[in-house]
Amino acid sequence: MIQLLLLPAALLIALIFGIPLLRYLWLSFHADSVITSLVAIPNNGANWFRLFNDQRFWQDTYQTARFAFVSVSLEIFLALGIALLLDQRWRGRGVVRAITLLPWALPTTVMALGWRWIFNTPNGPIEQFAKLIGLQHLYGLQDLNILANPSLTWLATVVGDVWKTTPFVALILLAGLQTIPNDLYEAFDLEGGKPCAGLFKITLPLLQPYLLLGLLFRLAQAFGVFDLIQVMTGGGPASSTESLALYAYLNAMRFLDFGYSATVMIASFLLLVFICLFGWLVIHQTKHFREVVK
Amino acid sequence: MSLILENIGRRVGRNWIVRHLQLEVAEGECLALLGPSGCGKSSTLRLIAGLDQADEGTIFIKGKDVTTVSPVDRRIGMVFQSYALFPHLTVAENLALGLRVRKFSATDQQKRVASILNLMQLEDHARQRPAQLSGGQRQRVALARALLRDPLVYLLDEPMSNLDAQLREDLRPELRRLILKDGQPVVYVTHDQHEAMAMAHRIGVMRDGQLEQVGSPQELYHQPTSTFVASFIGRPQINLLPAESGIIKAIRPEDLKLSSQGLPCRLIHREWLGTSQLWLLESPRGQLRMLTAGDTSIPANIQLEWSTKKEHLFDANSGLRSKYPTS
Repeated sequence: MIQLLLLPAALLIALIFGIPLLRYLWLSFHADSVITSLVAIPNNGANWFRLFNDQRFWQDTYQTARFAFVSVSLEIFLALGIALLLDQRWRGRGVVRAITLLPWALPTTVMALGWRWIFNTPNGPIEQFAKLIGLQHLYGLQDLNILANPSLTWLATVVGDVWKTTPFVALILLAGLQTIPNDLYEAFDLEGGKPCAGLFKITLPLLQPYLLLGLLFRLAQAFGVFDLIQVMTGGGPASSTESLALYAYLNAMRFLDFGYSATVMIASFLLLVFICLFGWLVIHQTKHFREVVK
Repeated sequence: MSLILENIGRRVGRNWIVRHLQLEVAEGECLALLGPSGCGKSSTLRLIAGLDQADEGTIFIKGKDVTTVSPVDRRIGMVFQSYALFPHLTVAENLALGLRVRKFSATDQQKRVASILNLMQLEDHARQRPAQLSGGQRQRVALARALLRDPLVYLLDEPMSNLDAQLREDLRPELRRLILKDGQPVVYVTHDQHEAMAMAHRIGVMRDGQLEQVGSPQELYHQPTSTFVASFIGRPQINLLPAESGIIKAIRPEDLKLSSQGLPCRLIHREWLGTSQLWLLESPRGQLRMLTAGDTSIPANIQLEWSTKKEHLFDANSGLRSKYPTS
């Protein structure tokens, strides 16, 4: 009976997510492009066959995964430090807490433009600084030209993403830290535990569910990255920063191949589901999480 | 004296939350700090433990000045109100953690944990986590951890407040035996006077960060030094009569007697308590609580009297016990 009360919400979700998803799944088994005059014609899985042999798709999968794992790892690491700092009591903490959230509150397109300017050659501060310390010689170049260097540009997008979403992870971790009662630390203190031992023996184990939650949220988000890359690099140079979402977008909007775009989208959706399921399983493996959720 | 607080004070901002606190607890003595919430009793405990630093005064443990000594070096066995058990560790791991950080050998850890689990009858729960235990079992784990600390002083902060009433009464004798078995001084914080009377040799009643009166439960009951202590100790509450010529007379509910020619009263409420009953009476001298035998029937005309020897006299201005009885 109780489950019945969930019906309106379930219907809403089916409407918003289910129908488009099914429509895309259906579309991925059809040719629908300029050639077919934008009429969907069944093509017996030719899209999927093309996908498995599409070098660019696999290249983008690798690039997306690389972007997601590197930036999310950095974010968790930095956010942990920030959350620990913001959890301490000190003067002006409230102001700093508010400031910390600013990057997250900024629209992605706006901050991505900002970062594009920061990485600009030759006027951007990063380029100027790199020149100052002679970093370009490492690569044997006149200019470092980060946004035009296929081996470096993805790092610039990682920097942008870390800058923007670390506050979000920090917020989750800060919420987690505030669930840890202070008397645990006091009891540990009375037993003779050192503060840094408390970090490993109390804080991190009790923060684990929140760390995994942040990881899961962020992985899902980073795997579908689009706007940041579209604005900062447009997927270039030489498609070296192109993400799966961007590839799907290009197929639909530039090549007007909606059938194949749907295939890429469904494929990246399945990949994401796989990653999230894996993450969810890992979370449920940790006993403490079960107790917290319970 | 094994634990001495000399003129201890603690300030938060400009407010003194504890001040001019003078207290001595002997070996093997249990002293309860009793008072309403916010009176500074828990703050006092934290000062003794070293979790907070005193802003004035000196603390001695076994003759050693520990005022600025770190909590760990004071060797305190503390039971927190929440028990402060580590939720991610099993009972055995909870108990071993302290031994591990104090660098006991692995075999030593095992031996000590095993013997304390045995003493506290917790063997069957060694592999369980705190969340899987009942309130009473959690309290035993918290106490076991304090005992393992091999402390010089025991501090217990409302250790019973998370348990239901029945369990509280059942656990008192056992808890008292365990904390007093090695002869350390014990400071026991509670807001429950029955618990304080049951557990402690002496009780310190606190009010607004200061000790109002320290004494045995009998002293507090029979010679309260102020109207505050008089009304705080004893249930049903003592009757404070309206002040007359600067003196407040107070009389315990059980000292009121029915008589044929006394203060005329009207019964407004009655609670039957088994062997006794509580009458709430309206009289020319205000509302009175009277405790009478359970089988007393209500007379047509209620008139009360009491022996002047049973009266407690307090100065109306200061609320302090008046040294010179008016009679």
